[in-house]
Parts: sequence; C-alpha cells; structure tokens
Amino acid sequence: MSASIEKGINALKREVDSTVAAFFSSCVHCGLCAEACLFYTETGDPKRTPINKTEPLRRIWKSEFTLMGRVGKILGLSKKVDDKFLEEWQELVYDSCTMCGRCSMVCPVGNDIALMIRKTREGMAAAGQAPEGLIGATNRSVTIGSPMGVKWPALKAQIKHVEEDSGLKVPVDVEDVEYMLLLSSMEIMNFPEFIEAVAKIFEKAGATWTISSEAFEATNSGIQIGVSDIAAVLVQRIVDVADKLRVKTVISPECGHAYTAIRWDGPNLVGKAFNFKVRHILEVLDDLSKEGRLKMSSKESQRLTYHDPCQIARRGGVIDEPRSLINMISDNFVEMPDAGKMNWCCGAGGGVSANERADEIRLKVFERKKAQLDEVKPDAIISACSNCRIHLEDGLEEYNMDIPLLSLTETLAEHLAED
Amino acid sequence: MTEIELLSWARGPGLQIATIIFVAGVVIRIFEILLLGRKANLAESKGPEMSSGLRTVITRTLPDRTTFKRSSVTIVLGYIFHIGLFIVCFLSAPHILFLRDIIGFGWPSLPTQVIDAVAVVTIIALLATLVNRLTNKVMRYLTNFEDLLTWFLTFLPLVTGYIAFHRIGMTAPTLLAVHILSVELLLVVFPFTKLMHAFTLFIARWYNGAISGYRGVAS
Amino acid sequence: MMEIRSDTDFRKVLEALDDVQQRQVAALFVQHVLPLSEDKRLERVIKVAADADATEEELAAALKTAHAVTFDSHARCGAEGHWSDQAGYFVARAAVAASTPASQARAGGAAWQAAMSARMAYTSMLIEDAPDQSAHTECEWQYQSLSDYPNV
Repeated sequence: MSASIEKGINALKREVDSTVAAFFSSCVHCGLCAEACLFYTETGDPKRTPINKTEPLRRIWKSEFTLMGRVGKILGLSKKVDDKFLEEWQELVYDSCTMCGRCSMVCPVGNDIALMIRKTREGMAAAGQAPEGLIGATNRSVTIGSPMGVKWPALKAQIKHVEEDSGLKVPVDVEDVEYMLLLSSMEIMNFPEFIEAVAKIFEKAGATWTISSEAFEATNSGIQIGVSDIAAVLVQRIVDVADKLRVKTVISPECGHAYTAIRWDGPNLVGKAFNFKVRHILEVLDDLSKEGRLKMSSKESQRLTYHDPCQIARRGGVIDEPRSLINMISDNFVEMPDAGKMNWCCGAGGGVSANERADEIRLKVFERKKAQLDEVKPDAIISACSNCRIHLEDGLEEYNMDIPLLSLTETLAEHLAED
Repeated sequence: MTEIELLSWARGPGLQIATIIFVAGVVIRIFEILLLGRKANLAESKGPEMSSGLRTVITRTLPDRTTFKRSSVTIVLGYIFHIGLFIVCFLSAPHILFLRDIIGFGWPSLPTQVIDAVAVVTIIALLATLVNRLTNKVMRYLTNFEDLLTWFLTFLPLVTGYIAFHRIGMTAPTLLAVHILSVELLLVVFPFTKLMHAFTLFIARWYNGAISGYRGVAS
Repeated sequence: MMEIRSDTDFRKVLEALDDVQQRQVAALFVQHVLPLSEDKRLERVIKVAADADATEEELAAALKTAHAVTFDSHARCGAEGHWSDQAGYFVARAAVAASTPASQARAGGAAWQAAMSARMAYTSMLIEDAPDQSAHTECEWQYQSLSDYPNV
C-alpha cells in the first residue's frame, strides 16, 4: 500500500457525499457528542470529542465542496490538511474511537459521527497514517487470509479436536446447505469451544451447515483500518465461496465488526447485492428458537447481565434476539443501566485492541463499563463478541473484579436439551 | 442621512437585498448538499428508510435520559433560547403584522407582556449560553470565531428589538432601523454559517434515522 | 480399575468424583501439559489445586494467578498469532479450570474442563510443530491416568 498525502486527500474527497455535507453543515458545536463518548467521559480530554475526530474530513468538505470554502481556498484561507496535521490526528481517529456510534445517537442535529470517523479513516490510511498494528493485521488478512495469520491447517486441527471431543461432525466445504459459518481469528485461537457449541446446537436443531476451507475468516481488517478496497477483497472471498457452495445464509460469528463488515457494508463494498442472506449467529439461534428447534433443559442460576456489543446491537440491529435467548436459560437476568441500543462500548473494538499504542487508554475507558457493572452487580456477564469478551476480562482483571465472561452461544449449548 | 431615510432604506432596499442573499444562500447551501447524493444501499434491509428518517427528525428533538443528565445545562439553555426566539419572532404582534404584509396572512399574537417576559428570559438564556460556551471544557475547545459571531448576530436583533420596543436611549425611528438592520445582518451572514442547521438538521436527522432504520434500529 | 475408552465413559467417571478429587484430577491433567507453557506461575497454581488440604483463600489466590496468566498469554486481536504461545494460553485455561470453585465450574465439572483445555494446549502445539498428528494421544493419556487414579 503506497501512501501519500495526495492519496489521503483524494480518499477524503471520495468520501464526501450528501450525508457528510448535511452533517457538517448542521454541527453547532454543542459538545453533546463528547458526553456520549467513553473516550471523553473517562479521560476528560476535550480533543476526544467525537466531532473533533472528524476534522480532517471536515476541512476537505469545507474547502472542496462548499462555495465559501472554495473561495476561501483560492484566497489561501482554508485550513491545511498535511502530513503533520494527520499525524497529530492519528491518535484521535484510531486510538480514541471504536466507531461504536453512541455519539451518532445523541447528536441533536442528527449527525452520524461514527460514520464520519469511518470515512475519515479512509483518508488517514491512504495517507499512511494508520497505526502499525492495524497495518500488520491488514497485510496478513490480504496475504494469508486472517489478520492473525490463522491458516486452514490450524483451523482444521481445531476442528478435529472439536470433533474428537464432542463426537460430532463439523462439515467442511459441503454444498447446498442452509448455513455457512464464518469464524473470527480470535475465536479460532482463543475460544475454539465456540465451534463445538455451534456444532452441538445445529445437530440438535437439525440444521445443515458447513465451514469453508477457502474462506472462513470473519474479521475484516479493511473496515478497521479504513481501506474500502481491502475490505472489499476480503468480503469478495466470502461471496465467491458462498456462491460456489450455494449456501442460503452466511453466519457471522460472535465478533462485532465482522458483522458490520459482511452484513451491512459487504454488498456495498463489492458493488453487488448478495445471492445469500447474512445473519449474526444470535439471529440464527433466535430463529431456531422461534421455530421450536432449540430446546433448553436447564438454566443458569447465577445473576446474569448482558453486554451489548456495539456493532451487533446499536449499529447492527440485533438487540432483542440475545435477550429472548438469555431468557430461555435464565430467570435471573438483569439489565445494566443504558442497556440495549444505548449501551456503552467496551472500548476495544474497531481496531483499538489491535493497536498496542492504545493499550493504556483502552484500559482507562473500561471504567465506564465498570461503573455500569458496579451498579448492576452481576455474578456473570454474557456477551456475543470475542473481542469484547477478551477486553472485558482484561479490564475486570485490571480492576480486581471477579466476574466471569460467558459467550451466549456457548452458554446456550451448555443448557441444550439432550432430546 | 436622516433617521427616516435610514429606516426607509432598512425597510426597503436593505430588506430586499438581505432577503435575496438569504434565500439564494440557503438554496445554494441546500443544493450543495443534496446534489452530492449518496450511493444506494445494496445490503438487505431490516427496516424502512423513509419512515425511520422522519421518525428521527422528530424524536431527536428529545434527548435520552443519560445524555440529559450529563449535559443538562447546555440542553435546557438550548431549549429556552430556541423556544424563546420562536415566540418572539413569530408570535409578537409587530412581527406578525410585518410578515402579513409579505405573505398575505397573519395569525393570533401573544399578549405584549408575555412577549416582553419571554424576550427577557431569552436574552438572559443567550447570555448564559455564551458563558456556558466559554466555561464548559468541551465547548471551549470546539468554539471558534464563527460560533462567537453567530451568537452575536442572534443576540443583537433580540436586544435591539427589545430596546426599540421600549424606546430606550434613542428615537423610535433610529431604534427601529437599528433593529431591522441587525436582522438584515443576520440574514446576510446566516447561509454561510452553522445557522444553516435550522434547515439542514432536517436533512441530517433524516439521514441518521434512515441509515439506522435500514439496520433495524430506531435512532 | 475400570477401562475408559471414550469420552462418554471418561465424563461419567469424572462426574462421579467429589469436589476435591475433581480438583486433583484436573491438576493432574494440567501438570502433564505444563511444559507447553513458559509461565512459571502455573507451577504454583497446580501445586495448590493438587493439594487436598488447600484452603479457600489459597485456591482463590491460585485462580487469580491462573486468570492473570491467561490474560498475558492470549492472542491479541489483530496481532500475529503464534500457536506455540496459544498452547501456553490453553494450559493457563486448564489451570483456571483446576482452581475454580466447584460451584462456579462450567459444564462437566472442573476436571472435564481442565482435560479439554489440556487437549487444546496439545493441539495448539501440534498445529505449529506437527500439523498432521492428532491430539488423540493426549486424550488417551488422560483416559489412562484417570483409570489409574486411586479410588476410581
């Protein structure tokens, strides 16, 4: 990826559309977005105000797409977008934002600031201003097929282990099935029991499914770094295989941004509507439950609460499904304050956890989630994103809180009725 | 120039020029936005765009509880001065008469004492918003020359109107001319500033609701 | 001494163990894969888990340490993953299972969870070093160890 400031500016120009123009035209500098953003509320640093993070995009919009702005540019009055400025903004755009979208929900004039930050990243990345960790992950995604370098033989070994332990078959490269499951590298490496949980549930539900040896990776580093071309390449791999196997539905696993990438951005990235549906694993499980194909035989007795992964809930629309599912296995489920579409971000998504430079701030902003947990005092936390899970565990350990993190899918599998 | 000449100019050519610049400016700004267009969404939708957008245009007026708790001063002051400005601008007798001459019809006005009280409250609220803008950590960081200019240009008509109505300080014609000129100044600068939010927020909120509604989330 | 040939038998026997035995058998499984972890803290954790007379406080401290090791050893999202390091992560998870109080143990009990994680550790090691081999040998070792365990 050769980068330059010219490429960066051109990328920003390409990102300006009527939504961006409407948003920047309407901002009145009220500052309400800051109070919705955990990177501001937990650090108190006003430069982390969400709309401020979009300054590179705003400058381009102003000087290239408004009458007065163009006049100002001719007169030499417009604010510069150069390497120095973008370098200063790198920390705001990448380290201090997960694109969680809470700001977009509170802006009184209706600005979708998270969308604007996503667009700003396109310019940053093209100008060579993305963090090292993300660049590495993206390169590995393109060349190896996984941001963490997970190759098919490794997944195959995990699958074999899962099959031996569970006695179930994990179908690979099977055609004409209902579901094709994607997996995030994080799950393959850290939580392989997720695969077993899905195998168990689908077996009991009588669902036909498969994993593809050619395209199994759900994580889309292109979305995180902000390079749509790369994001498109990664999506196309999945599309090609899904079409080849003629699957009806592609399942996005317990990973937040993976869902955004394939469900909502996917067709727009590759420029074509999909021939198959895309659903989050929780949507699929909820459907199976509503069809009576998912039966539980036991319940969790401990006090449970649910952390809404931002890309799945607020930015993804999967808010009610996890709750119906949790109610199947719990009579002791309590919501944390602001639960649902206004839940607070864990602080690690959108590339933040892949960026070592952001470690300190990532742990600092966990205090927001901690405050929610201190109020609800659960025995355990359920969630549906492996990145949230790892980061929440990190945060809980840092603050000496002894609350286990559970995956919703794995917990459902544990309580599945034998028959 | 005599004060009558000044007033005539303000009411005549001044108003015409200001109105033309205002209308042309607003139209250009809105076209600037809409002509950029946006790409169609090829993903399978989970909800309707149009109605979701319209819903957000309305619901975004009210903040959620947590946001309100965290930013109550900014929000309350914002409500007071916006509502105050609306009442003073559109429900005071002299303004309704003025508008009736232009658009051909009027509507009932509120009693003078009420308008007076509202004007005073609005003036105080605007002063408070300035203090808030300069003392609130986030707002201070965001604030630029344009924020201060637009504050001033909004404040001026309110204060000059109040003074003109109560005939304080100068003769009636001069006070009225000053008031009308201050409004014309506001109109002329309006399209080039964030005051455009008065129009564009409908577009922005609609986009927000549409984008979110497409994904099945009420924003 | 019963013959254990499958996971069904294996689990049945494990479930019949009492809490202390579960802990000790779990520790046994972890001990076997301990060389796959570079973190010396786990030695202490296993020692406590294997001790029939370990107090609640000692076990709580051991659990905390085991958790800390999992956080230090897990693959970071987006970072280049090394399966040999992941082996250490799974050993740590097995140690977590071995030191978790019975009331909080996940499905199957402490010993089963430890066995699973221990097998995962072995699988991870194989991915890096010997991708064509199966982890079944670890499985069989576990069956044998359980059969040999006193009072089974």
